[in-house]
Amino acid sequence: MLTRLPLFAPALAARPIAWRDGREIQLGEFALDVAAVASTLPARSAMLNLCEDRYRFLAAYAAALSVGHAALLPPTRTEQVLKEIEAAHPGSYRWDDAVVDAALSASQAAAATDLEIAAEQIATIGFTSGSTGRPQSYSKDWRSVNGSSACNARAIRAALDVADDAAVWILATVPPQHTYGMEFSVLLPLIAGMAVHAARPLFPADVAGALNELPTPRVLVSTPVHLRALVESPQPFPQVALTVSATAPLDRALAREVEAKLGGRLLEIFGSTETCAFASRRTAQDELWKLHDGVRLESTAEGTLVAAPWNRQPILLQDHVELHGTGEFRVQGRNADLIEVAGKRASLADLTRRVLAIDGVQDAVVFQPGAEAVATIRRLAALVVAPGRSVEQIHEQLAASVDPAFLPRPLLLVDALPRNELGKLPRAALLAALVNPNFQG
Amino acid sequence: MSAIQSAGERELAELIVTALNLEGVAPADIEPEAALFKTGLGLDSIDALELALEISKRYGFQLRSDDENNLRIFRSLRSLAAHIERHRTT
Repeated sequence: MLTRLPLFAPALAARPIAWRDGREIQLGEFALDVAAVASTLPARSAMLNLCEDRYRFLAAYAAALSVGHAALLPPTRTEQVLKEIEAAHPGSYRWDDAVVDAALSASQAAAATDLEIAAEQIATIGFTSGSTGRPQSYSKDWRSVNGSSACNARAIRAALDVADDAAVWILATVPPQHTYGMEFSVLLPLIAGMAVHAARPLFPADVAGALNELPTPRVLVSTPVHLRALVESPQPFPQVALTVSATAPLDRALAREVEAKLGGRLLEIFGSTETCAFASRRTAQDELWKLHDGVRLESTAEGTLVAAPWNRQPILLQDHVELHGTGEFRVQGRNADLIEVAGKRASLADLTRRVLAIDGVQDAVVFQPGAEAVATIRRLAALVVAPGRSVEQIHEQLAASVDPAFLPRPLLLVDALPRNELGKLPRAALLAALVNPNFQG
Repeated sequence: MSAIQSAGERELAELIVTALNLEGVAPADIEPEAALFKTGLGLDSIDALELALEISKRYGFQLRSDDENNLRIFRSLRSLAAHIERHRTT
């Protein structure tokens, strides 16, 4: 007999699930919208959910699940990427804000809140963002999605010190189509009793305005690049109970500034498209990552095997970790970051940290361009943001702690790193920056 | 070759080129009506964040996006300059 799991949890009609147009939306009303959208879906199998509005995204996602469709989560929404995904998934269809809106205006008499979804149904198909090579797809079934969400919810509720049934209000600066945005701004409202603001604010004033609308306790789901803008802005902010950060490493100094400016703790999340989030830490004071309940790690030569109760099999991550007991670990660097030059080994992440530690350096990345980009094979390159400092000064200080074989050449001073909207550094953008350091596409 | 920039547009063009370090772009060459993002100058949302920070320092107000498209006021040099003219406090 097939196991079925709830589509809405808890399935209480009166619990808040979203904040939209200046008011709270309860599950009962949301379920009506989901039923309305579901009645308009085509007889196909996978939705490319392009909604920008998080409420519409949420309604379209739940509607797709309710009729047995998976959600394809495009890494970017450029036409070319969408076409590639469509070609790889025959049966897929695009759904956007306009079509969802048209469905929402159709009135429904009643809708059940106790819908159930088969545990084996494919719920999401995500794609790695391309910083590690060719985009690859990863499917997650409804059981797996439920398991990881329960752990994320526990981590947040523990950090907030609130009960399992207490309302929690989320504001997210990340798109719902990204794995992190999906886990923390879509699934937590849908199946972990939290509620989310429909907006995706960009500017500091937008973030402050949206936070001001929400009841407490408020949780801000964001990324290092967005958080840095908030900290540097003169904009005053309402206090949040918790800030969550993921997608790129957050340094401790920024973590402390965020806590000082926004109040509440900053919880940094560790995870990947393949595994979902599986660990967290309070970066302002902790170096060790704390594993989610039931997750076990095993170090291997190739990386780290992540065994999570919500995944059928352990998943190999390209990260090397040092285990501390059974519940904590320290990251030693990504496997792809481990490089060999003249028989010596170094970690790009470690080299980047060393550049960042130099006085006057605001942002930096050390990477391996490869033979095709520069004449010298295995020579590292670096892009560094350090107003007022010269290349010579940085090289000289770096030489104090780094083997000459690993000194980046070229080391280019740039005004900003070519980060994408999630703050990540796509390899193609790094290579382009080497050729034309200050023209970011 | 480029359409005439107003004084305000020229000042903003200089701020954009400096703030985002668009080497190889002359402020005077930015077409007032051309797209700043995606096409045209090819800026992205992180550039928008950076620019918003510089604008708040120079013109004394915080950019907000009241519509669904966060980047609408960034459509062109002209639309951004007009927005600044309406909201600047310094």
